[in-house]
Amino acid sequence: MKKSFAEQVILTSGIFLTVSGSLFPFLWFVLTSLKTQLEVESIPPIFWPTVNFAFYRSALVDHHLSSYLFNSLIVAGSTTMISIFLALPAAYALVRFALRGKELILGGLLTISMFPPLVIAGPVWQILEGINGLNTLWGLILPYVSLTLPLAIWILATFFKDLPVELEEAARIDGCTTRQTLVTIMIPLASPGIFTAAILTFIYAWNEFFFALLILTDPMRQTLPVGIALFQGEFTMPWGEIAAASVLATLPLILLVLLFQRGIISGLSAGAVKG
Amino acid sequence: MVIPALLFVSVFTLYPTIRTFLLSFHQIFLALPSLGQPFVGLENYSLLFNDHVSQQAFLVTVGFVLLSTMAELILGLGIALVIHEPFKGRAGVRAAVLIPWAIPTVVASQLWRFIFNDQYGLANLIVFGNHISQYIPWLAFPQSAFLIIVLADVWKTSSFVGLLLLAGLQIIPEDLYDAARIDGASAWQRFRHVTLPLLKPAFLIALLFRTIDAFRVFDLVFVMTQGGPGDATQVIQFYGYKTFFTEGRIGYGSAISVSVFLMIVFLSLFYIRSIGSKLLAREQS
Amino acid sequence: MPRILPMPFLPIGSTLTFFVLLLCWPTNIQASDPFVKESDISLTQSVLHFVTWKADQPKVWDEAIGRFEKAHPHIQIKREIAPHSSTAYHDLLTQKLKNHDSSLDVFFMDVIWPAEFAEAGWARPLDDWFSPAQQERFLPGPIRAGTYRQHIYGVPSRIDSGMLYYRLDLLKKYGFQPPHTWEELVAQANTIIKREQASHPALRGYSGQFKQYEGLVCDMMEFILSNNGSLLNDNHSLSTLTNPQTLKAVEFVRDQMIQQLASPAVLTYEEPESLAIFVQGKSVFHRNWPYAWGLANDPRHSKIVGMVGVAPLPHFPNGRSISTLGGWLYGISAYSKHPKEAWTFIQFMTSSTMQKIFAVDAALAPSRPALYFNREVLQANPQYRDFLPVFQAATPRPQTPVYPIISHIWQRFFSRVLASSHSDILQEAQRADQQIHHFLTLARHNRS
Repeated sequence: MKKSFAEQVILTSGIFLTVSGSLFPFLWFVLTSLKTQLEVESIPPIFWPTVNFAFYRSALVDHHLSSYLFNSLIVAGSTTMISIFLALPAAYALVRFALRGKELILGGLLTISMFPPLVIAGPVWQILEGINGLNTLWGLILPYVSLTLPLAIWILATFFKDLPVELEEAARIDGCTTRQTLVTIMIPLASPGIFTAAILTFIYAWNEFFFALLILTDPMRQTLPVGIALFQGEFTMPWGEIAAASVLATLPLILLVLLFQRGIISGLSAGAVKG
Repeated sequence: MVIPALLFVSVFTLYPTIRTFLLSFHQIFLALPSLGQPFVGLENYSLLFNDHVSQQAFLVTVGFVLLSTMAELILGLGIALVIHEPFKGRAGVRAAVLIPWAIPTVVASQLWRFIFNDQYGLANLIVFGNHISQYIPWLAFPQSAFLIIVLADVWKTSSFVGLLLLAGLQIIPEDLYDAARIDGASAWQRFRHVTLPLLKPAFLIALLFRTIDAFRVFDLVFVMTQGGPGDATQVIQFYGYKTFFTEGRIGYGSAISVSVFLMIVFLSLFYIRSIGSKLLAREQS
Repeated sequence: MPRILPMPFLPIGSTLTFFVLLLCWPTNIQASDPFVKESDISLTQSVLHFVTWKADQPKVWDEAIGRFEKAHPHIQIKREIAPHSSTAYHDLLTQKLKNHDSSLDVFFMDVIWPAEFAEAGWARPLDDWFSPAQQERFLPGPIRAGTYRQHIYGVPSRIDSGMLYYRLDLLKKYGFQPPHTWEELVAQANTIIKREQASHPALRGYSGQFKQYEGLVCDMMEFILSNNGSLLNDNHSLSTLTNPQTLKAVEFVRDQMIQQLASPAVLTYEEPESLAIFVQGKSVFHRNWPYAWGLANDPRHSKIVGMVGVAPLPHFPNGRSISTLGGWLYGISAYSKHPKEAWTFIQFMTSSTMQKIFAVDAALAPSRPALYFNREVLQANPQYRDFLPVFQAATPRPQTPVYPIISHIWQRFFSRVLASSHSDILQEAQRADQQIHHFLTLARHNRS
């Protein structure tokens, strides 16, 4: 359909506003990270930097950024793997088998994923204290898995629901056990859903702040969000380093998002629309 | 097969919740142990209702939820409409829009805090240019500090809402638009009478997700303002955090957590009820 | 649904392996602790867990601990690094202590914590080892802060107290001596700003810490008490914010200092931001702790090197100069299994020798007054000559086990009042008084 001139103008300005509004603020941080200390402190603020990487070096070396990155990678990666590993059989069972209270479990899981961290923070801290899990990465991973399982199960259940039952019935006729069916047939077919669930879990664990703040107090153990939130220069607010750290903390996610755009969008919206 | 997952969730989510519930019925001051931990029934809750500070925290939170959700729905709709149109480079725009969503909230908080910095901030540069003596400390005034928190959240989450609405847009059949065009409806009329009504379920879902999420806001406040100035940005979860962890008022802090939790549960039940039935109806048809 | 990428199924094995690796991840990695000798296996060896934070000069601390371990080979120090922020550090400590965690031996206490830690039974009384005669060799303020109900719970480490920094060059240019009263300060600042308008349009009169956090209480206490006002009455049974002198001081800060001289921007400042304004030459006067001296004279960070003066804070007419006491004390956990060894460690770290080293190498102001006459210390820190009288008169904040709760109420009161020029100070003060009274009463019941 041909658009009227007015419509085209509106569309173009819409596109322009959307893109610039989304990117521009973050771009500002990127520019800041490339400046020199003097440029950052200049008043009025300078826009363009003379490109140099001093802040990155300083953030990585003097401010523990490398350990933050490492810790975040381990925590997010493990949370994702464990969560998906546990969610797959659970989602499959919930979808295919007539379990008692199935609706209750699914609904309950969904509600649980909306709990405010504050409600469970205190007792979780105590549990971890009891098992010596404070200030450890695995001690953080445990509550993360529990917090990401509901959404992972939900997304996987949605995908499983869509798969034709005939394939499984054929497998059963061929003599496969439930587990074999799940592993050899269902999972490959539902891989888009698995990807979506994995990516969303990873992003959640990478960005989580509240529990990380409570459980990790040793800077060598802290994850990126805690490190960036508590970023303290000894002398002045180290905005340059904060910007550099922020860029490095976000790059992996941006890469993930760009690579798996379609999967993420379909996962988010499919899950929502299908309800 | 479900057991391992359920086990995790029970241990780390259900059990702590129950424990917090129980704690909220006791008076516990970590710093005053000889007062013991007496059971006080609903006293913590009545304190909560009558306390100016918690009342303000609730108001701030509700205000935040309302403002941010409204703004995100409107902006999200705009984003969805833009991305829905076929044009060259649409994938790029889609990717661009996802970036604020992907950024860790803590990073976004530092980013906006820096933008509104009174000395080095981009906001001052844009508004006042070189007149540095006119630069405003945006985060020093209660109203603007609050609005900036809302702004940061809106920037970060509008794209998520946009995606949800986009999915809703994509299932509206093209023939409805064609029929409307044939009837002579203008673009605006098509929007009002075809798009909006059919978008309602998606709107409700976005509303559900965003409202519940907005109640849990914490990171933004922690990094940008620490609740100030004058408690103007002290949202309920931050207030609970300070009370529970810094002041050691375990009983009262638990009551705060439980109140937030109950509000969220009621909200979700309410939404799920009203949306759930609609969705079920749609699926059946 | 189109396949995005063919995804081979993750072998269960790899997941499990990863999980197992995590479980085995060593939980005791020491960042930079070359002095921890794993090979020292002695039957009587005790390990002391010392919760501290990342030092600004880690080498000095590493060497200090190394020296101790060499002198006491049967004691090994294991440091746990806690957050830098006082609040976060406090929360971490209290969480451990409330769980009777025996893996904690020595820690630091901010001067405002001993009452809370003593009342809760978290800090061990040190009367057996820390005699009054020994206590007298320390500055009185920190000792008072570490004492609760006639028992001593902490040994002062380094001391801090609020000071007035000013631009020596600007005051001299206009023939001013450092102001004695706040009104003088305002008058001087206004004159200087007006006359410097042409060359320094963005120059401000004052820079301090007025964000809604603990530092706000420190700054405000200096104003209030120097007007003969008070926060609590003498026996801590009443909150006295509605006291007319208190109200007047608060009003003065709101109308003269924040809305005019300093700019409301200070409502978002903690120490780093407020100091940045000063060392960049944008403020005539500045309130901060002793550490600011070193930075103001560091050419890497400061544009005003050699142009900085320091003096006791001003007061109101009929009042006297008040400087809020800050600093840290060493404490021993009541649940420690090695109290005697912990005491040995603390004694070592607070000895004259070690405090001197910290003063000279790390610019940490010692809590032993004798060191302020020591040649080497003064050579490294000539400003200490001026600091000593201020340190000796430093005023601690009110001691009460419910300090964190009350401090939040103060922070809220001050921040709300200062943030708006139309605030109803009396009403806010009444409200805050009421709330504080509630908690003071509870604290008294706890005692009886």
